[in-house]
Amino acid sequence: MNRIDGYAPIRDYAAIGDGRTTALVARDGAIDWLCLPDVDSPPVFSRLLDAKRGGSFELQPAEPFEAERAYRPGSNVLTTTFRTASGSVRVTDALTLADRTIASPMRELVRLVEPLDGRVPMRWRARPTFGAERRTRMERRQDRVVAVSGRHAVAVSAWGAGDAEITDTTVGGEFVADGEPAVLTLASAHGEPLVFVAREQAERSLERTDRFWRDWSARADYDGPWREPVVRSALALKLLVYSPSGAIVAAPTTSLPERMGGVRNWDYRYAWLRDATWSLDAMLTLGFHDEAEAFFWWFMHASRRTWPRLSVLYRVDGGVQRGEHEAEGVDGYRGSRPVRYGNGAADQVQLDIYGSVLDAVARFWREGGHIDKDTAKDVAKLADYIAKIWREPDSGIWEARGERRHYTQSKAMCRLALRRAGELAEAGVIPDRREQWEPAESGLREFLDERGWDEGLGSFVRAPELRELDASLLTMSVLECIDPTEERMVQTIDAVRRELAEGPFVYRYRGDDGLPEGEGAFLACSFWLAGSLARAGRVDEATELMDQLVASGNDVGLYAEEIDPETGEFLGNFPQGLTHLALINAAAAIAEASA
Amino acid sequence: MILWGSLAGGLVGTIILTSGLRMSQEAGWTRMDLPLLLGTIFSDDRSRASVIGYLTHFVNGLVFSLGYAGIFYAVGRAGWDLGLALGAVHGLFAGGGLVTVLLPAVHPRMGTHWTDAEETPILESPGFLLHNYGRATAVVTFVLHLAYGAIVGAFAAGF
Repeated sequence: MNRIDGYAPIRDYAAIGDGRTTALVARDGAIDWLCLPDVDSPPVFSRLLDAKRGGSFELQPAEPFEAERAYRPGSNVLTTTFRTASGSVRVTDALTLADRTIASPMRELVRLVEPLDGRVPMRWRARPTFGAERRTRMERRQDRVVAVSGRHAVAVSAWGAGDAEITDTTVGGEFVADGEPAVLTLASAHGEPLVFVAREQAERSLERTDRFWRDWSARADYDGPWREPVVRSALALKLLVYSPSGAIVAAPTTSLPERMGGVRNWDYRYAWLRDATWSLDAMLTLGFHDEAEAFFWWFMHASRRTWPRLSVLYRVDGGVQRGEHEAEGVDGYRGSRPVRYGNGAADQVQLDIYGSVLDAVARFWREGGHIDKDTAKDVAKLADYIAKIWREPDSGIWEARGERRHYTQSKAMCRLALRRAGELAEAGVIPDRREQWEPAESGLREFLDERGWDEGLGSFVRAPELRELDASLLTMSVLECIDPTEERMVQTIDAVRRELAEGPFVYRYRGDDGLPEGEGAFLACSFWLAGSLARAGRVDEATELMDQLVASGNDVGLYAEEIDPETGEFLGNFPQGLTHLALINAAAAIAEASA
Repeated sequence: MILWGSLAGGLVGTIILTSGLRMSQEAGWTRMDLPLLLGTIFSDDRSRASVIGYLTHFVNGLVFSLGYAGIFYAVGRAGWDLGLALGAVHGLFAGGGLVTVLLPAVHPRMGTHWTDAEETPILESPGFLLHNYGRATAVVTFVLHLAYGAIVGAFAAGF
């Protein structure tokens, strides 16, 4: 792996996590991204966004090496095997799950170094930071090194990894891997005392964590094609679940660029209602009912303050995200500035989320989820609200930062919302106010038929005033806003493929979105295309496309938001939940169409 | 007089506190739903949980008023001003310890900072000073506890 100006390619990262936060491990053994204690906290390791000033936890051979990586089967525990001229060594990384029966660190990273053959010289170095403006103090306490910054502290422990040497900002060591395994841990505490663990406890935690992940993924109820990538995607999505609340973040990173060196750099460490409700759908598809129920409760509770108006995104603790700011003095991934914290899309109006939410509620109910009377009343209020506001322009699924428009996809999703509400009302699940909703539904139908469709293009269009293609229109097939086999939908699929695809990869749109031009192809759209082809009955085409898309994942089966079709370089935040759940959805659609 | 007055004040104060919280929810100031939080200890059906939670909250309100009565006896007087002071302590305890620390610790369906991928709780924890349920939650809760305390004190003193 070659770093460019100190930055590893996004494709060369793997993710480990514990249900609260996620770390990114580069192929060369460096952990370049870790926010503590939670996924939306400031990063302790942030070399991902600043190769000079961001901290990291390096662990690699002290001589030239080749690296090969894999997750342990069915697990989110990562192994990296380094081969050098002197031999080979395996590093196993995990953010461990606490054993509640004994005192355990609040958060814990365990790195196990096992010699496989020969005598491999190794070196390691940890440089924790607690935000650019915060001062970090390094102290030696007995046989550990503790980095302290205010109420935050991390303890680095090393067994069999040489004498730890500390500087003002780093702790590190060198050793030869040739006998007993070495163990390195980083334990954190936030507003409470550090818990120091013994080597044996750290090793047990790692194995216990691996057992949990294997048991969890074994519950995946999916026997269709591409089972391994589907289960890997489920594991990736589970990493994005913030367990204390049940929220699902879009990605665990901020400001990985959608165009190298560009300004399309956003903070994705929030729960987008749209992505998260689709995640609920994916979880149900795979039989993970507990996660689906936890998320269902989370969004019913998180949205309470504004109900029936929904925010586009929420903080993982359930708060409404406010504001977006640009970090001063942070270089950005390969010079991609600004680095943003917070996300301004929170203040936008996006009508499509109502369709996502009501579709998720209906799916939850169809799968046996319980909807009690209070929830049922709230759901009906949501339908009332959509019937009232559907005529308003919005910022659309792509969160356009220019003027609001009447996006076709948004209107289709509003119509889906009312249809799902109608189905729930007909089944007696929610109060029946279909007579009130009907005029809005027919208005939406009329909008789609007359203003959303362009006979000349032979396709639905992005918006009546933007007569161009938009890959989000594929969601009309994916979510069955209209019959996926209907001629207009089939023509739209062909038009998107013709105009927006480059090889297997599909761009979101070609037109203006209020930002400087240029970004990669959007991987979720590419999977939507595969799913849409399957739903249209074109299974062979869908299968061929899916094979190509599955092959485009990185070596451990993870995907970013976007990809450069020419170079295969990943772009955008990583790993991206929307891409993984689109993969699951497409695989399930092809499996169903093939049955 | 102090005992029965405190109990009567506890009942009225709890009505005010519960109604005030409900109105604050409707006004969009907070997502704090105390009956739901208490009721989901016993049931994951929202409607049933709310009913159980209301009953539990009223029992709690009466039990706390007995505590107020004990303090009134101990200091040898009662009054709205002393009740107000006790309400302030009660509010701080509720926001800083009772609901933020003790409730998540005993609630079978609530997450905590320690909850990891092994668990799938259905309720988010309130966070320090109830921050997770909206920034205004601490203020709303504190003010309503002041009202509760003043009412209990006034009833105990026979107005």
